[in-house]
Amino acid sequence: MTSQTPIYEARNISKSYGSVDALVGVNLKIHAGEVVGLVGDNGAGKSTLVKCLSGAHQPTSGQMLLDGKEVEWKTPHEAIEAGIETLYQESGLAPDLSVSSNVFLGREELVKGPLGRLGFLAQKSMDKKAHEDLERVGIAVPASNRAVSQLSGGQRQAVAIGRAVSWASKIIILDEPTNHLGARQAGEVLNIIERVKSEGFGVIFISHTLPHVLQVTDRVAVLRLGRLVADKPTSEFNSETLLGTITGLIGE
Amino acid sequence: MDKAKFNAKGLLRNQQVILLVVLFAMAAFFTSQNSIFLTNAVFGNIISDWVPLVLIAIGETFVIISGGIDLSVGSAVGLSGIIAAFSMRYFTAHNMTDNLSLTLGLLISIGIGAVVGLVNGFLITKANMVPFVSTLVTLGAARGLCIVLTAGGPIADGPSNAIDLSVPKVGPFSYPGVAVLGLVIILGLFMHKARFGRYTFAIGSNAFAARSAGINVNRHLVKIYALSGALAGIAGMYFYLRLGVGSPTSGQSGELNAIAAVVIGGASLSGGVGKLLGTALGSLILVTVTSGLIIIGVAANWNQVVVAILIAAAVFSQGIRTLGKKNK
Amino acid sequence: MASKKKLSLVAVAGAAALFASAAVPAASQAATTKTIAFVMGAINDPFFNAMKAGAVAEAKAKGVKLVWQGDVQYSPATQIPVVDQVLATKPDGLVLIPTDPVALQPSVAKAKAAGITVVNVDTHVNDLTDVVSFITGDNADGGAKAADALATAMRYTNGKKYQVVVGLTSATATTNVARLEGFTKAVAAKYPGIQIVDKAYSQSDSAIANTNVNNWLTKYPNLRGIFAIDGTNASGAAAAIQAKGLIGKVALVGYDAYPANVKLIQKKVFSALIAQDPAAEAKQAIDTLVDFWAGKTSTIVKNVVIPNVVLSGTTSKADLKAFTYVA
Repeated sequence: MTSQTPIYEARNISKSYGSVDALVGVNLKIHAGEVVGLVGDNGAGKSTLVKCLSGAHQPTSGQMLLDGKEVEWKTPHEAIEAGIETLYQESGLAPDLSVSSNVFLGREELVKGPLGRLGFLAQKSMDKKAHEDLERVGIAVPASNRAVSQLSGGQRQAVAIGRAVSWASKIIILDEPTNHLGARQAGEVLNIIERVKSEGFGVIFISHTLPHVLQVTDRVAVLRLGRLVADKPTSEFNSETLLGTITGLIGE
Repeated sequence: MDKAKFNAKGLLRNQQVILLVVLFAMAAFFTSQNSIFLTNAVFGNIISDWVPLVLIAIGETFVIISGGIDLSVGSAVGLSGIIAAFSMRYFTAHNMTDNLSLTLGLLISIGIGAVVGLVNGFLITKANMVPFVSTLVTLGAARGLCIVLTAGGPIADGPSNAIDLSVPKVGPFSYPGVAVLGLVIILGLFMHKARFGRYTFAIGSNAFAARSAGINVNRHLVKIYALSGALAGIAGMYFYLRLGVGSPTSGQSGELNAIAAVVIGGASLSGGVGKLLGTALGSLILVTVTSGLIIIGVAANWNQVVVAILIAAAVFSQGIRTLGKKNK
Repeated sequence: MASKKKLSLVAVAGAAALFASAAVPAASQAATTKTIAFVMGAINDPFFNAMKAGAVAEAKAKGVKLVWQGDVQYSPATQIPVVDQVLATKPDGLVLIPTDPVALQPSVAKAKAAGITVVNVDTHVNDLTDVVSFITGDNADGGAKAADALATAMRYTNGKKYQVVVGLTSATATTNVARLEGFTKAVAAKYPGIQIVDKAYSQSDSAIANTNVNNWLTKYPNLRGIFAIDGTNASGAAAAIQAKGLIGKVALVGYDAYPANVKLIQKKVFSALIAQDPAAEAKQAIDTLVDFWAGKTSTIVKNVVIPNVVLSGTTSKADLKAFTYVA
């Protein structure tokens, strides 16, 4: 499981928007069963890097390798197909749909036979599988046919992560998954991330909440003004040194 | 006690149940005023009004659930009926049989309606216009074309058996009415049991989520508006059968009736919520009011007042139910 | 729709007094061709199309230049800008179909100030001082003729009861009001056995008219006759009679000679159609202006009423064709 080849790797990635250099020569490696924290101040380039990794944007230069093979995403869909799931900060759930409908959104199971060709859904089977998938990562949702709008904020975030887990085969990118959550609910989400890691996924965890980063990650990559300024095991940071690295008080 | 209370609450939460109660109450009231209301003849009149309304209201339901609005359905009804009428006049003048002429007329009518819908779809997804504006544009353009093409008068000289087809044959339903009823059921299944409907709800609920789940949102929206237009096309042909001529004013204000039916049926104008059965019952309530008021002899001008009250009641009850949910 | 025309049939009393104050004819500008501008209510209405056909023929006959303008809507808000545009081109005469008796009054004053001679056709402004002549179809007379036609079609005999209904477009459109008044008065005076049991409004939509008639036919099993007060009501009622197989059993008298409805006279769906004669109104308007410019003021009549005609199964084919509105 802990092979030397990273499961996902960004090499020398740069991204400019017109004359603005959002990312300059960034390198990042994620191994299977590893949670990598991605931190930095606002405007440090976290979102840009996430967008490049998830296929939403194309880097201006540089390479990306999945399982050691060079890849290029033209659309987010291509990245999803390759096993990279991204959970954006804006909630990625449709609140009026049920839990299982959300988990299977865009990848619905159809009934067998001619009705399936007309697009009829195998709803019972999806309800059951969604429930199983969520339980696997420790998410207990009362009923998978319940509308997401009826769940608490923490439950929603758990379902969103559960959705990503049940579809990702390699990498899960979580953009501020503990934002706007109470302490108990955030704790539940961090527990889920631990479970996800133990399932052998590579996880990229983006957060402003440094205690969460220190608690859940194995390694932390720090971005400042579009450049990677640190990439070290989490054990080498404490909250002061991490903050110092982000702000540039402790530097290169 | 708890259980009974829960059930009563559950029933009241169900808009369809409320609508059925309203419908029966209305029927009982109209019958008490004039017993002739409870006859197949009156039901036949009601159904012949229901058929075109439910067609455009279903299209409108898909659109509204997707978070949009289609103001052009009424005009699409008029334009498709007119073009079909011109075509069938041409076919008849060239000795085509009535049945073939009507079949082609139906296909042409559906096609014209779908074209109006496709224009909406492209204005929304390619020109990035909001649905309200883009369908307002096609509302004006299509109705204007109706008037220009017909110079305001009805278009006749089509198949001679057209009106016969609008006559009730199966209970209160005409043969085309039965076909439309079947279509309503099929579209209900597509809305609630198939992927097409699921994507529609997802887009209206959270377009961002739908897009990041890999759904081609723009393509789906174009399909929805095309469906709405095509259904308006069927309604246009149905009006032709009813009147025996293509009338440039057919479907006038139809969009408002359709939206009223959808809202009464329990859909939310902010998208993501709605039931096809609700819309079907909502349309049935609207046309029952129309016929009922005529039968009991209340001035037809009251019709709009009653409809306004129904809409207000529907939205109000929806508000109460959503509040109930949130408080939980 | 023709029915939307606001036409107040206020009798023009003291015509003579008004006459005295009418504009003195401008010195005839001799050889130059005169231009007459027509500004319509709703430019696509078959009624106005028929009027245009009459105007084109008469303008050619009298050697005047014709300008034809109007908005698609029957509304003063859209008509006033059109009138302003037309006045800016300085025609010699303006034939105006005012969509509102008050709102268009200033436009008439403006025209007069610019030395443009004004005639009103079909509807008129409230103050006719600056208007040389007002020419209209007689809607009240048309309503009375409809009553006669309906009585004939039901083979009316005194002492029997006849239930009839009236399908209207709106409660306020002045053509509707005048026709209904003429109809009601004639019924009261000549046909005491006829009971008007119901009325409803279709808002210019044939489908709504159809719904109304369908329900009446159910509600009144003994219904004998229907008066459909304009073209859209006529279409809706005709469809209902055909669908319910009541041709010849329920007498139907309609209004407005739309080609589609004229054809249904031959099928006996309509017992009769009352038609206006817009072409004759246009001809009269042009003749009035030409006479006015020629100084023949004594021949000009201040208020001209052109009778409606009855089209029925006995009308000659030539007449049917002549009175059918141009589509």
